[in-house]
Amino acid sequence: MARLIAALALAGCMTLAHAGRSCEPHPPEARTVERAMVLAERTARALDASGAQVVVLARAGQDLSAYGLRYSHLGLAYRDGTRWKVAHKLNQCGSAVASIYRQGLGEFFLDDLYDYQAGVVLLRPDVQAALLPALRNNRQLAQLHTPRYNMVAYPWAQTYQQSNQWAIEMLALAMDPNAATRERAQAWLQLQGYQPTPLRISAFKRLGARMTAANVAFDDHPNEKRFADRIETVTVDSVFAWLNRSGLGGPVQVVR
Amino acid sequence: MKRLILSALLSVSLTAQAHPPNASDASALSMLPVAVSVAAPAMFLSAGAVLMVVAVEASATGVLCVLERASDGARASVTLSAQAAGGLSVGVGTAVVVTAFSAGWVLSAAGRAIAYIPNEIGAALLYNERVTR
Repeated sequence: MARLIAALALAGCMTLAHAGRSCEPHPPEARTVERAMVLAERTARALDASGAQVVVLARAGQDLSAYGLRYSHLGLAYRDGTRWKVAHKLNQCGSAVASIYRQGLGEFFLDDLYDYQAGVVLLRPDVQAALLPALRNNRQLAQLHTPRYNMVAYPWAQTYQQSNQWAIEMLALAMDPNAATRERAQAWLQLQGYQPTPLRISAFKRLGARMTAANVAFDDHPNEKRFADRIETVTVDSVFAWLNRSGLGGPVQVVR
Repeated sequence: MKRLILSALLSVSLTAQAHPPNASDASALSMLPVAVSVAAPAMFLSAGAVLMVVAVEASATGVLCVLERASDGARASVTLSAQAAGGLSVGVGTAVVVTAFSAGWVLSAAGRAIAYIPNEIGAALLYNERVTR
C-alpha cells in the first residue's frame, strides 16, 4: 500500500512537472463530465447522419462575445470505421509549447466548456477526399506543426503557431502538395482568400498579457499593425466564414 | 513597493480583460481517471447510489478500486487506467455518489468527478493519442 501511494504521488508529480506551471489538477464537476459526453454523443450522431467523412469541428471553451466570436478552438474530425476522431493542436496547460493530438469526440469536448454547443462545417467532397488520408497519417499531421505556441500568433508568420492556424495550414497542405512548408501553406491560404479576425488589443493589455502568460506573444506581428493595436489571428469564426465564402465548406451547423 | 503591487494588480486585471481568443488547453479528461474494466453485481451502478471506497490497490492493468454499496454491503471492483490513475483523488473511506447518464456513469466525491465509467456508447467516443512530442 505504501508502495502504491508512493507510485501515485510520483505519477502526480510527473504530471505536474510535465504539464507546466499553471496546470494544477482540479477534477471536473460530475455534471461537466456528463454534459461534455452527451454533447460528444449528439455530435457523433449528427456527423453520422451528415454522410460526411471529414468535417471542421469547433468548441466554445470560453466566452469570446466581447470580440464578437462564438467558438474558441477547432479541430479536423474524420470518420475512422464506426467512430469519429479529431486531429487538433493542444497547448499544454498555459505553457509556451503545444502538440498535435488525435482524440475522440469525448476528449474534444471534455474541456470545461463555456457553452455546450458544437460548430460543424461540412467540407466540399474533394476537400474531404484530400484531407482524409492526411489526417490518418502521423507524418503529415506533424509536417507543418511548430511546437512554439502563441494564442494570438500572426497568421502570416512562422515564429509561432496556434491551434486554429495549424488546422488551416494542414488543410492547405492536403489541398496542394506544393504547400509543403508553412510559408507556402500560408501563401495558399492568402490565395484562397482567407482573412483573419482583427482584434483591438491595446498596448496596456498586450503588456499585461505578455508579462503574465507564457502562451501569449506579439513579437511576430508587424510593427505597423501592432502599434495600431490591431492584432490579427486565426479565429474559428473567421475560418468558418472563409470556408463558406470560398465554397470549400458549407454553412455552420450547430449541435447542442 | 506600493507601486509594484499596483502594477502587478494592473497586469493581472489586464490579462483577464485581454483574454486572447484561442484557448486550446489540453483536455480535462486526460486528468480524469477512466474505468477500463468493471466487475459489479447487476444494478450496482444505479443513479444516486452511495458507495464507499473500501480498497485501492495497484494491479497489472491500472489501479483497482473496490466500492461497497452503503444500503446492502454489495461490492464492485473498478479498474482505472494506469495512465490517469495518478489523478485519482480518493482513498479508503471516501464516500462516492453515482450519476448515471446515456454514455455511462460518473463517480463523484463532494461534487467533483473522480472517475468516469463509460458504457458502450461512451467507450466509442473516447480515444487519445499524442501525435507529436
